[in-house]
Amino acid sequence: MRHAVVGLFLLWAIAAEPAIARPLHVVAAYPYIEDLVETIGGENVRVFCLARGDYNPHVIIPRPSFIAKVRRADLLVISGAQLEIGWLPPLLRQANNPAVQPGEQGFLDLSRSVTLIDVPASVSRELGDVHPEGNPHYYLDPENILLLARTVTDRLSRLDPDGAWYYEGKYEAFATLWRAKLVEWSHDMLPLKETRVVEYHKNYDYFLRRYGLVLAGTVEPLPGIPPTSKHIEQLERMLKTEPARFILQDVYNPDDASRHLAGKLGMILVFLPHDVGAVREASDLVSLFDEMVRRLTQ
Amino acid sequence: MSDILVTAFLLSLVLLGIHSFFGIEIIRRGIIFTDLAIGQMAALGAAASILFLDGEYLDLLALTFALAGGAIVAVAARRTETHEAFIGLLYAFGFSGVFILLSKSYHGMEMFQKLMASDILFTPMSDLIQAAVVYAVLGAALLLFYRRARGLLKEALFFVTFAVTVTIAVRLAGVLVVFALLVAPALTALRIRRGIPIVNAWIIGTLVNLISILLSYNLDFPTGYTLVFSHATLALAIALFVPSKKSTAEPVQKRT
Repeated sequence: MRHAVVGLFLLWAIAAEPAIARPLHVVAAYPYIEDLVETIGGENVRVFCLARGDYNPHVIIPRPSFIAKVRRADLLVISGAQLEIGWLPPLLRQANNPAVQPGEQGFLDLSRSVTLIDVPASVSRELGDVHPEGNPHYYLDPENILLLARTVTDRLSRLDPDGAWYYEGKYEAFATLWRAKLVEWSHDMLPLKETRVVEYHKNYDYFLRRYGLVLAGTVEPLPGIPPTSKHIEQLERMLKTEPARFILQDVYNPDDASRHLAGKLGMILVFLPHDVGAVREASDLVSLFDEMVRRLTQ
Repeated sequence: MSDILVTAFLLSLVLLGIHSFFGIEIIRRGIIFTDLAIGQMAALGAAASILFLDGEYLDLLALTFALAGGAIVAVAARRTETHEAFIGLLYAFGFSGVFILLSKSYHGMEMFQKLMASDILFTPMSDLIQAAVVYAVLGAALLLFYRRARGLLKEALFFVTFAVTVTIAVRLAGVLVVFALLVAPALTALRIRRGIPIVNAWIIGTLVNLISILLSYNLDFPTGYTLVFSHATLALAIALFVPSKKSTAEPVQKRT
């Protein structure tokens, strides 16, 4: 009898374990994540976004509200692969919210659900957590977005099991739309297959790979290092013998070197958005890729 | 107010305490940009550590470079008439050196920013306490020996303590915040005819810090920039609208 009572009590205790109250408070590192979580979470989530889509994703200007939002968040979703390395660790420490620390259910690193490219074979001896994990701009491969949507759906369902059916429904709707868009983008990008392009920063490698474009070179000699005259000279010489059609420029880096090259060698300078909000037309994930494709194919 | 900005506010007070002393001194000596030059030399040391030692001995190298910068300014202040130009060049030297060194380091710039450009909003309490202890020791040393010291010893004491102070402060709050806290309260305090300048600087600085933190919290402004902006605004307003000490204390007619 006594065991039965204890057993019942335990059962009650487990069942009554407080589920996270809706709406779930989610903090997203970047606007594309904000859009993804809002798409899957619908009215069950309130999303706050830290970085701006038209800024350099490697830096943010911290405001007091960032700490407040992370402190009361149920879920923190980051892009990962060290894109946030410059600003997230101190923010996490200062917010002091045990629920969203790495390793917890409330912490989601989206880069873990995709395969990264440019992973260095050997990593030089550096400070503990700064080992390059590969190119972090993986979300610009539209096929990856489906994997990310799946990951977000699973995590929201785990945090809020009663809402799982709702998130699944939202995911199905999104996946259907997205698959149709994938066909459309593939079709539109087909004529550009094998086209040689130059990019300023290694922002668009995943996008280029997806649609079979060939990366001829980068304006930056190394990621994050401003162009040097020697590097530009080499690039110019190479492009004279093996021309490229486009120079892809992001909206936050200086474009003078790209303009110089484009003007001198007759290449087309294209400003490509790298995130939702980078240009006015890219207001959500769908229009982000619509706009990338439009700017390259128009 | 939420505890989010308590550390930032306390840090602004800790910095203000010792920087008011140095601020008044550097304005009197006419070597105002010394802290920028020393801060940049510390950054150069950090960049050297990132490139050649993968970030090991970063603090040690930063401090060594800062002390070297301090020594160079000390010598320049004695030898040349145009020491502000010299200090400006030292800043340019450190600034360009950082970019040259980091241009050879893969992801060095990100690492550099992570290590050097911290935000006052993100200062951990432990760092704040460390800084407070070091500043208390430096402050005590200055209080005990600065007045009594003479000649080269006095100069050495000044520039060594200043280099250490600036190196720590820049790591915690960034170059701009340190510059504002150093120069603005001191500048305003020196224009007040009553009281002791350093006490005036403390009072003015504390008020401005408090207002800045409240503004930053309530309007969700970036905290460091709000501090710099408020300090600069007050100092500019006083410079423009309050008649200067000299022109009122010693009227021109007196000499004629």
